[in-house]
Amino acid sequence: MPHRLSRRQLLQLVTASAAGLGLAACGSNGSGSGAGGDGDSGQITVWSWTTAAKALRAVVPSFERDNPGIKVDIQDVGEPAIWDKITVGLASGGKGLADVLHIGVDYLPGYLEKFPDGLADLSKLGADQYKGAFAQGLWPTVIGEDKAAHALPWEVNPLGLFYRQDYFEKAGVDPADISSWDDLIAAGPKILSATGAQLLGLDKPGTTQDMDFFQNLMQLQGAFYFDHDGKVTLASPAAVQALTVIKRLNDGGLLADIAGQGTWKRLVSQGKLATSPDPAWAVEYLATKFPDQSGKWRVMQPPAAVPGGGRSAIVNSTYLAVSASSKRRRAAWRFIEYALTKPAEINRMFTSGGVFPALSAAYTDPKFSAPHPFYGDQKVLKSFVDSLGSGSDATNFTGDYTRALKLASDAQSQVLLKGADPAGALKDAAKQLAQQTGRQQAA
Amino acid sequence: MSLAPPERAPATATPAGRGTPTHTGRTRPGRRRLLTRDSVPYLLIMPAVLGFAIFKAYPIADSLWISLTTGNGDDRHFTGLANYQRLLDDPLFWTALKNTALILVVQVPLMLGLALLVALGLNSTKVWLRPLWRLGVFVPSLTGLVAAGVMFSVILNRDAGLLNWVLSAFGIDRVNWLGSPFWARVGVVLVITWHYTGYNAVMYLAGLQGIPNELYEAAMVDGAGPIRRFAAITLPQLRPILLLTVVLSTIGTLQLFDEPYVLTGGGPDNATMTVTMYLYNNGFKYFDFGYASALAYALALIVSVLGILQVRLMGERR
Repeated sequence: MPHRLSRRQLLQLVTASAAGLGLAACGSNGSGSGAGGDGDSGQITVWSWTTAAKALRAVVPSFERDNPGIKVDIQDVGEPAIWDKITVGLASGGKGLADVLHIGVDYLPGYLEKFPDGLADLSKLGADQYKGAFAQGLWPTVIGEDKAAHALPWEVNPLGLFYRQDYFEKAGVDPADISSWDDLIAAGPKILSATGAQLLGLDKPGTTQDMDFFQNLMQLQGAFYFDHDGKVTLASPAAVQALTVIKRLNDGGLLADIAGQGTWKRLVSQGKLATSPDPAWAVEYLATKFPDQSGKWRVMQPPAAVPGGGRSAIVNSTYLAVSASSKRRRAAWRFIEYALTKPAEINRMFTSGGVFPALSAAYTDPKFSAPHPFYGDQKVLKSFVDSLGSGSDATNFTGDYTRALKLASDAQSQVLLKGADPAGALKDAAKQLAQQTGRQQAA
Repeated sequence: MSLAPPERAPATATPAGRGTPTHTGRTRPGRRRLLTRDSVPYLLIMPAVLGFAIFKAYPIADSLWISLTTGNGDDRHFTGLANYQRLLDDPLFWTALKNTALILVVQVPLMLGLALLVALGLNSTKVWLRPLWRLGVFVPSLTGLVAAGVMFSVILNRDAGLLNWVLSAFGIDRVNWLGSPFWARVGVVLVITWHYTGYNAVMYLAGLQGIPNELYEAAMVDGAGPIRRFAAITLPQLRPILLLTVVLSTIGTLQLFDEPYVLTGGGPDNATMTVTMYLYNNGFKYFDFGYASALAYALALIVSVLGILQVRLMGERR
């Protein structure tokens, strides 16, 4: 029987494959973290999501032309899947991570704090020369505990209030008279009875933990879950004021529940919402999703959270970073530098993906002062740029943002679904937050 | 190709104290042979053992160590039982445990009772097109967990969902399925029941078909009615399978994650937060791997205790 495997051969095969498995396991254990390199050529991969990935692809042809020897592969990992992928990669010492990572401000401080060696030191590669190039307040967010920059700002989202001009007119409400949420809460019933539209939508049970509106109301007061020393301020007067505004909107019947997939989109397309407080990226989003409502929407500066208070806020921002485990850190940095610090390139991305640039030099482009047909030829982008210029501070998200988000979302649900008192709910939440994170509560 | 014939053994690989003394045991002096009657079974299970060691045993042991540490990334330091201490003082952990227990106590008996009824129906010779019904009952358990969750989040949508539309046809008010703490729990129970009833029914069906007909015939001769036959023959005969399904369902429910994750995100106000979801949040959202590992060990402990209790209470009495 010449073709039959002898027992000895079989045994050797089994031992060999077993040894191979064992070796493979040792190999992946042994190499540890920080095994990256400063390669300047070859293929680099970039992780991003949806429209932003599309925007980045628009830069690739000119980058590859100007940087022969570097090839760029943009991968649309999807959001929120990208956070799990990056977290797992960082937790396992950088294995399997892309060279360039697109990271939001809600995750960046957490990554910097929990994985201090996870993202490459960009100051060493020359990032510090761009310190003053971005919208105010963004640079401190890229600095790690080692005082070095670990990312470059790409996108910044100043807040605006999108509103239905036709509804306001029908209800006899002059947008110019709205300067605070108090004014809007007073005008809400008029709009409701004239048009049947509620003021805005909110995920009341907190299924998505989208707390942007609550955060915006705090940010308008220069406050957040944490102060600049990292102390917990979730029960501060500003936070209580923010949740009280939401409670009053709800009690007045002005708040629609948008829990559930596609609910907000459906309500807007049915004309059931009169306003939408949204960041700058919504300019193109509304125009492309609801083309039949062209000419009906306008944008104003967000109303203040307290009468006479500030009317500008940075909702969030996103960044590009280089993973420390990348074998081609220099090539990756060159791509980031190319995409984010050249006005022509960053505006190309703004055009193709609607990503509002953080680079101040980009705003001189004529498109930022052009009238927008969807908004009845209002110069909408200019109002956002002006809002950035009025100097809203950066928010300290800290490494414990996600815990704060969860507890704030619970507090909001308690107020909206169970009629809890905002001050009491936030006091409990702040206490838990301090307990879980080992942070102090601000006085 | 048979294994080593008896006359060749024992070889050197034979454990000490068994067989003949070594100096006479070697058939071919100088060559130690690995392949003997005693070693082959070990070689055969080696791939599985290696796989288990690398992908299960190592993570299990490592997470025990991690649960005793705190810190970021590679910078971990030993904290003893601090994470477990924190667990006992954590109101959210107790909320999650309470939710899980509630779902367990309500959902598992409901589902298994339903599955038993379905199995009895499918086992009846009076039912037409039995293969078709069996397939229909089993198909939901083939659906991916996340797919089922997404599908039900559409069905349970308050304003545009199918279920509320059907209810409104009967004049019943719209139910805020995922928006109120009570109904969100009902929604989760609904999805799990939909998903796993068929699976359990098929297990029961296999058990029912293994019960000898003679038992029923004898009982009928003795004048036992259908209910008496069910209680005195069917249930006792199904005991091993009942035990299996109860234990499996208990473990499954304690590890419940996908459905509430997709459907409610654990809300509203933590009404559907399960222990596994809380574990995930701590590990992958808050990067607190030490605490997450402690949660995992606490959960493993609870699962084992419950499993042992169930086997003790329901198992064969000797």
